[in-house]
Amino acid sequence: MNKDIILKEVGKIIIPLVQLFGIYVIINGHLSPGGGFSGGTVLGTSLIIMHLIYGEDLVRSIYSRKKLLVGISSSLIFYTIIKGYSFLSYELELPHPPLGNFGSILSAGFILPLNIAVGIVVACVFYIIFSIFIKDEV
Amino acid sequence: MRKISASLITIILISILLIGVSDLPEFGKENNPSNNILSKTYIENTSKETGAANIVTGIILDYRALDTLMEATVLFSGVTVIILLFKV
Repeated sequence: MNKDIILKEVGKIIIPLVQLFGIYVIINGHLSPGGGFSGGTVLGTSLIIMHLIYGEDLVRSIYSRKKLLVGISSSLIFYTIIKGYSFLSYELELPHPPLGNFGSILSAGFILPLNIAVGIVVACVFYIIFSIFIKDEV
Repeated sequence: MRKISASLITIILISILLIGVSDLPEFGKENNPSNNILSKTYIENTSKETGAANIVTGIILDYRALDTLMEATVLFSGVTVIILLFKV
């Protein structure tokens, strides 16, 4: 599969910027508009662009199907444990995480790790569904 | 026959929905049920209680976190079923 050389060179510039923007949207989810769902969509879109420009083999060699599924499952388990602790801690009077300075990145207690978990789930799900439906077998 | 019954069902459904819509309160009035204390409470207290500057994220990841968990679980089960069905 010979793609255009302009496409490949532009992709080298565009893809890291798109991934950086996705990580920015996820990490600033509790400070600015955005969050896990929108940032995860941007991250998944960068994987889709990589798939379309460089072919499936390169993406599969970096992000194999097993890695993506492990990422989804461990993020969900992480979310469940963290939020279950947060719900139980009101009744059992367990210690809460500190809220931190208002407006800084490391603040707002459990919201930042939950945003990251949701972002990983959405990004992996987006790319897996795309990579299955892009084939002509369906 | 099928066309007649289909149009009858459509007309009945449309009239039921329009009757429901006509009972809605008028738009923009003071005493509407949407103008209760809930939105004011959220706007005033969310930033203090959760520490998040973005009120929407504060609500969906703190007060309504189980809802977000179920949304992520829906995505996960969707991917699982697609992989099972297409055997890839």
